[in-house]
Amino acid sequence: MVSTVTNSDVKQKDVDQAVVVAVTFAAVFGPEAEDGSTVYRLGVALPLLQVLQRVNERLLEKNPAEHQLFDVILITTDSWQQQQNSSIINSTRHHGLEISRFCFSTEDNYIESLVQNNVQLFFTTDGNEALQATHQGVPSALLDKNSVSCPSEQLRVLFCEKAIIQPNMGSTEASKKSAQNFLAHLGQMRQKFGVFDSPLCFTLVTSHGGKDSCCCALKSLRSLGVSVDEAYCLGGAPRGPILSLLRPHFLLSDGFSLLEG
Amino acid sequence: MSRSSIQTLTISGQDVVKNGSQNSSEDAKALLKPSTPSKKTPKPENSITIAVSSRVLFNMDKEQQIFEQQGMEEYIKYQVAHETEPFSPGPAFSFVKALEAVNTQLRDLYPESEELFDVVLITNNHAYVGLRLINTINHHQLFIERFCMTGGNSPIGYLKAYNTNLYLSSDPVKVHEALEQGIAAATMFTPEKMTEVSETQLRVAFDGDAVLFSDESEQIYKAHGLDKFFEHEKAHENKPLDHGPLKGFLEVLGKLQKRFYAKGQRMDCPIRTYLVTARSAASSGARALKTLRSWGLEIDEALFLAGAPKGPILEKIRPHIFFDDQMFHVEGAAEMGTVACHVPYGIAQRVPERKGLKDKEISSIK
Repeated sequence: MVSTVTNSDVKQKDVDQAVVVAVTFAAVFGPEAEDGSTVYRLGVALPLLQVLQRVNERLLEKNPAEHQLFDVILITTDSWQQQQNSSIINSTRHHGLEISRFCFSTEDNYIESLVQNNVQLFFTTDGNEALQATHQGVPSALLDKNSVSCPSEQLRVLFCEKAIIQPNMGSTEASKKSAQNFLAHLGQMRQKFGVFDSPLCFTLVTSHGGKDSCCCALKSLRSLGVSVDEAYCLGGAPRGPILSLLRPHFLLSDGFSLLEG
Repeated sequence: MSRSSIQTLTISGQDVVKNGSQNSSEDAKALLKPSTPSKKTPKPENSITIAVSSRVLFNMDKEQQIFEQQGMEEYIKYQVAHETEPFSPGPAFSFVKALEAVNTQLRDLYPESEELFDVVLITNNHAYVGLRLINTINHHQLFIERFCMTGGNSPIGYLKAYNTNLYLSSDPVKVHEALEQGIAAATMFTPEKMTEVSETQLRVAFDGDAVLFSDESEQIYKAHGLDKFFEHEKAHENKPLDHGPLKGFLEVLGKLQKRFYAKGQRMDCPIRTYLVTARSAASSGARALKTLRSWGLEIDEALFLAGAPKGPILEKIRPHIFFDDQMFHVEGAAEMGTVACHVPYGIAQRVPERKGLKDKEISSIK
């Protein structure tokens, strides 16, 4: 039985125009959270939450009546977590997180929750959860300890070529459609800012294939409404060094599922 | 703007044929006749990575003007509007073409080897400009399969990530940063006219002090004058100079040369190196040569000018690129059509040149 609770501390977003993203309990509060305390410590999702909030602030600065904002919901994915509802609400308020709603679901119905809440991107620390959500049409991204060192002033999204050229890999028609939808929103948000000093930054990294596959990717993204800021064509060179320089908050690839470390 | 053309490169009597790579939607891989080995990008750790910025590889003067006068948004709009128009070649273009010619000859001799030049485009430009750059690379049939468009961020981190052996840029600030990080780098200038250079033999010319060697002798000259400099050099003739920022690059060139020698191509080696120094053969030259020898490095031709201007001799040599730490020489070379690069290293950058001295003395130290 899923219960959805509004966070009265946070102004609710426009349901039709907001870009809803869901973050799991385990990402927001971290594994040490299960020690019986009523105020949980923050987990690997903190920089992401901060930066999403920052993007919203900047969007509102540009246009105080802006409705195309990020709408963050916290979701629990097992019954134990579901039972911690009051501690979760307390902790969220204690830390002043801009989470507008809580979905208290279990392992059996969290995906349904995601779908019902129109979630456009699902953040989790669990690979299985990400895979399952993607199969059901909800694009997902993995967060891990690398997420902790990401900047909090600029949302850095990294695209890898597989998502663009072979968007059917490991994903369904439904998730492909949602992914494109999400990209269109991101693109629109980005357009509201100039070339410099933007709170959003899109980076494309193509590891395999030469400049022409990178070219294809740039054009495809452009046709989806996403103008890429930075592009790296590695031509077979290893991706690790570049990733640690770029520090993306998340990777979008392979139908938007796994963040490869 | 797809272009497909067959280009024939004739090298030492052998014909090497390659298809021009096509643009975007077509199959991007270059198709080759069975007799030639396939061209794929070597791994960074095996190859010699030369990073060039967009403004030295191509002529972007007009666009640069738009950026300076009208700002970034207009600049990007202009670039995107002219996306299918290729840029014309910049000062580094013939150098890059010569690197490719060497690669072709190396592949002939060592088909499986990855010890090749690998040219990487590293630019501060945003990816919006990327498509025009990629289109231009294809138009000129350059074999550049790696690039970084950093969207305004400093490229230095990426230079290190790609094991860069040499970085060429038109921006002295970035070049300086790179040198500080221990990466061989130089600021490239566009000569008003560019003399014709060889399409089959790569020629690289280096100044000695503060380029191949450290600036220790320069420091003596600046502090104590010419006589003290000669004394010092004579006294330390057998003590090798410390290495300068471009010693490593000469070293990798030497390694490639040896691969040609091993196949009997010493006399007509496709790589030729030159030392062009204001030192004089009679007095201070010995130490320079002995230093090179102690490093196990060979240089094909050493020209001791004893203070004479470098422009005319470079005009005769026709190198694809010339490195010097003093703008006076860089400008002199560029005036006569040589692609000259400034290496902002050592004492010459901090102390103004003693130009007056040059007129008075027969031989000066640079």
